[in-house]
Amino acid sequence: MMMFLVLKEQLKSFYGRFATFSNGAVKFVYALTGFLLLNQNLGFMTQLKSPVVPLILALASAFLPYGAISFLLALFMLAHIYTVSFEIALVTAVFLIVVALLYYGFQPGDSFWLVLTPMAFLFKIPFVIPLLAGLAGSLVTVIPVSCGIVLYYILQYVKQNAGLLTNDASVDITQKFVQVIKALVSNQAMMVMIAVAVAGVLVVYLIRMLSVDYAWILAIVLGTIVQLAAVFVGDYLFDVSVPIGELVAGAFLSVLLAGIYHFFVFAVDYSRTEYTQFEDDEYVYYVKAVPKVAVSKPDVRVQRINNPAGGRRARR
Amino acid sequence: MLNEDKMKLMTGIAMFEKKEGKSIFPANRYFRSDYISSRMLRSFFSYTCCYILCVMVWILYSMERLLNAMNLDEIILAAKMAGIGYVAGLVLYLMITFFVYRRRYEYARRGMKVYVAKLKRLEKRYEFQSRTKELTKEGGRYDDVSRA
Repeated sequence: MMMFLVLKEQLKSFYGRFATFSNGAVKFVYALTGFLLLNQNLGFMTQLKSPVVPLILALASAFLPYGAISFLLALFMLAHIYTVSFEIALVTAVFLIVVALLYYGFQPGDSFWLVLTPMAFLFKIPFVIPLLAGLAGSLVTVIPVSCGIVLYYILQYVKQNAGLLTNDASVDITQKFVQVIKALVSNQAMMVMIAVAVAGVLVVYLIRMLSVDYAWILAIVLGTIVQLAAVFVGDYLFDVSVPIGELVAGAFLSVLLAGIYHFFVFAVDYSRTEYTQFEDDEYVYYVKAVPKVAVSKPDVRVQRINNPAGGRRARR
Repeated sequence: MLNEDKMKLMTGIAMFEKKEGKSIFPANRYFRSDYISSRMLRSFFSYTCCYILCVMVWILYSMERLLNAMNLDEIILAAKMAGIGYVAGLVLYLMITFFVYRRRYEYARRGMKVYVAKLKRLEKRYEFQSRTKELTKEGGRYDDVSRA
């Protein structure tokens, strides 16, 4: 434990010294992951498929704000989808514009949830997003997370039906359109996952705000259990098949990641909790004060006292 | 000469500006009603845009049905439903906008009070400093008085 705390302090001081550089590096990795995942899962437009394009775009992204990176990713995704089917590209574009106008008009600045959610789904750790959203954000994060889930299922649909969509030249455009929209709207796995995410964020957020000991750990564990339970209920009610082994492994990994986040953001020592009580004219205050865990960075310096050469010289 | 006290104050103010400026400065240029109504106007346009887009998608979706069953009554009914849906959604969205921006305006006003208080403290610091300079000037005090 001590080792991790020291590591945390070292990371903190590193970030303090190289903040601009670290921010750029994080953005670069974030954008590169997004572009590469899109290439790997969609990759229909051959011009974008070469590894140079994502690399250049990611390098440029290192200097852009998160909103602009999301915009670039969206364009990249639409280009890939457009190669397969104009109809789906249109539906996706309309969906993105609606989300951008209605939600991001209010709350610019948390577009990364919209990107991170499909990423987590592609990495098979979907449960981590509601956990982090509940721990880090407010209840409103439910909206971008849900939209991210919809995006993931659109991607999934394109990936699975790519051959069908490109070869179906005989079917006219309106029929294709009907097909696409029906498939997206009646996707029950998507609905179940949205419900799961909403339940997860709610539970995590509400428990985190409680003033009980170990609230954050409790929130992470209960949030995961609730999400797993919701998946199984959805599985039972709507007959959505889910691979259980993968699900449990993903849940385990999600708990681990949320635990790491918890360690870095909210390290407190509940064993040294202090209670105090006082009053003023209008209220009585019951205060619970929990100290943060703090270690000072070990500062090892070797100073030689008996330097023989120097000593002799001094004697002369 | 460096004045540590003043530097701390100014750094604090600059930090405050950087953190809270985004939410405070757009709000404090307007009266509350103007601020909220301008936001609501913006919401109205973005909502209308979204609605038009969605209706277009819906028309494309049900193009075949519309063309096959060219029934005027049905089309009128659909248009009515669309109108009702538009108005209901608009009212809901504008209400959300109203509540959100009203809260943000209050928040910004409180932030502005803090900001002004900080600036006043800085100003006092300046006054104090210039006054001390004046008083400690070589022979300044009595000369000033005699001149006056």
